[in-house]
Parts: sequence; C-alpha cells; structure tokens
Amino acid sequence: MLPENITAIVARNERWTGEAATEPHEVGWAKEAVFFVRALKKPVGKQPKGRVEISPDGIRWIAEGTEFDMPSEKDAIAAARLTNFGNWLRVAARFDDGAESTVLVTLHLKA
Amino acid sequence: MTTGLHGTAEALRLAIQRADPALSRFDPLPRIISFDNFARGHCGWSQLVGNYEDDLDTMLPGYAQHTSAMLSTLGHWDAGSHGGMDSSYALKVATRPIVGARNVAIKRHTFRRRGPIRFELYFTFKPEATELRLSETDVRSIGLLFDLQGGDRDGDSERVMPHLRFLNALDGQHVQKWQYKNETTNFVPIGTDNKTVSHYHLAPEGWLDLPDGGQRLCYNEIPTKVNWSYLRFDFDLESMQATGLQCNDRTFDLSGFDSIRIPSMKNLWCMLNFALFAETDVDKRAFLYVDSVCISGDF
Repeated sequence: MLPENITAIVARNERWTGEAATEPHEVGWAKEAVFFVRALKKPVGKQPKGRVEISPDGIRWIAEGTEFDMPSEKDAIAAARLTNFGNWLRVAARFDDGAESTVLVTLHLKA
Repeated sequence: MTTGLHGTAEALRLAIQRADPALSRFDPLPRIISFDNFARGHCGWSQLVGNYEDDLDTMLPGYAQHTSAMLSTLGHWDAGSHGGMDSSYALKVATRPIVGARNVAIKRHTFRRRGPIRFELYFTFKPEATELRLSETDVRSIGLLFDLQGGDRDGDSERVMPHLRFLNALDGQHVQKWQYKNETTNFVPIGTDNKTVSHYHLAPEGWLDLPDGGQRLCYNEIPTKVNWSYLRFDFDLESMQATGLQCNDRTFDLSGFDSIRIPSMKNLWCMLNFALFAETDVDKRAFLYVDSVCISGDF
C-alpha cells in the first residue's frame, strides 16, 4: 500500500490580527510536513514573522524554531518545511495593532 | 431449490464475514460500499466546504468555520495515546473553541440502485481536556447526516437529507437524547452567475426529539478516558425513508422520523453522501472520534 499523504486546509479565509494561530492538527503519523500560508487579500500594515509551534498535548504550545516571513502581497505564499515534530503542529503569528492578513493555510503531510 | 442455494450463499457470506476480525463487529448488508479503518488513512472523509462563487467571502458562516478532519491517536496530556479499537488511529472531527461551533467531515459517493443501505460506525466523543473536571456537558452533540438525490430519470426525485444527532448537552443541561430534523434554512444565491445557491441544513434550529430517544452513553469518569460505542442507521433509497437506528444496546422507533426534503437540484443525480459532525456547548473544542465505518447496501 502506498504511504499515506494528505492535504489539510487548517485555515481558510481567516482574517488574522493580534495573536493568531491555526487550529491544532494531529500529525503523529507523518514523517514530514509542509505548511503553506497564502494571503488571499492584500495584507494590511507591517507583516510579522510566522512561526511553527509544537505541543505535547494540543493545548500548550511552544515555538518549534522555524520562522518565515508572512506573505506581503495578495496571493504571495510563505512555506515552512518540517521534520521531527511529534504529534501536534500549528502555525502562529503576532500582528501589531492595525496590521492584518486574510490567510489560507495548507498543511501537507506525508507518512 | 433457489431458496436453498440462496440460504447457503447467505450462510457462507455471514461465516466469512464473521471470521474476519475487522468486519466481524459489523452487520453489513450483502454488498460493502466502503469499509473505513483509519489506520489505513482518511478513507475519503474530507472537509465539508461551503459553496462559493468568485470570492470565499460568499461562503455561509456555518460552513466557513469547518476545518479538515485528522487522523488521531487520541493523545491526552495525562495518559498519552488512547488509540482506537484495534489500531492506534481514529478519525477526529474537531470544532473550534467557541460555543455553538460545529465541524463536519463528509464522504461523497453515488449509488447504483435505489435500495436499502446501512451505515455503521464505532464512535466516541469528548471535549478538549483543558480543565481538570468531568466536563460531561461540554460537548453539545455528535451526529450524522446523509445527502441523497434520486436518479435523473426517476419521476419522484427530490433531494433528501436525513439528519440525526445525539444531543448530549444544551446550554449546560445534560439532556442525552437522539434528535432528527426535517427543515433547513432558505436557499440563498451565492455570487452573481445564478449557478450556485447555498442553505444551512445544520442550523441549530428545528431539531425534534425521537420518541423515547433518551439514552445514557458510557462517558467515563474523566475527560481523557473514552469508550467506543456502536451506531447503526438504516435507510431505504427506494422509498427515501429511514428504516432503523441502533446505538449500543438500544434500538429506536423511527415511525415519526422524516428527513429534510427539498426539490431536486440540477447537478446532484444519484448522490450518496455521508457526513459526521460535532458541536460544542461551551468555549472549548468538541471532538468526535470515529474508529471505523462500514457502509453497505443490498444491490
């Protein structure tokens, strides 16, 4: 049987402001993961760094260490490629007052 | 003689099925349409995405909240992975942590013949274990729905959507009863091309109690202990009527049951969709876990 792989949409057309993050996703079966963050609308204000977070339980989160520039133009895409992440993944970003982005976040997972 | 041969074939079918450890816990009709064990992947259970045209902003908010179902080991902060019934994995449908939030996973087929179908699954539900409390009234409901439409040459085609939910709690009350609904919201046009419409069939209004539909399930004693329950829903595609409901040791009277019925739609002939959903009653994620699903028919 071919190894499992899946494309999950973990945020679709979500307007991110302030402290924002995707919903927790269980990924323990996967050996590799790629997050894609696409700006569906023209981002407003200074765009922050996005960061990957891992968790022991899906409730408490810490930085995994990978960071990326949030897309600065409509339809621009940022990506983060990952291995060794345990059972939980999400991406997060912290926007300054007045800054925002409307995002589509795609998570590709491979066993 | 025909009856005898048929009886022998049926006995052989049952013997083979019951000797198969994976299928033995199900009671499928003669043909298995799909058998989903989530150690083999997502098995076609995908995110229910709402309709849209030109711009995702046109999607109704009830659908916009949906996210993809995931493969879960039921990992808990205090006890680690719970696992499934005979593998490490289950399908997980998780809501957002907002009171009334809902999420839906869907599997989309079409049918070959309008006859009996059977939907069986082993499931459990829990809230996210963010508190050291029993939390037994945090999950509002878990449920299932079918989305069906007859063939393009059938004279009686309509779109038929049986809905069932186990209402665990509502506004903090631990009500624990089975409900159905037979109405949806009005259709609204989506976009400008007059090709796409949408309605919100899972709107919170309009749920009705099944007669004698109260049932206390095994919830267990802390939020991270779970037990798997059996559920069976039978439906006849010829008459478009529900014919049976069983959850664990209880069967329920469906004589008063009816489905959402709306005029047939121009692109949905022979549609055979199955969906599973969860709803939360508090600002905490609700999780529906599904160990395995067997969908069968007599055709």
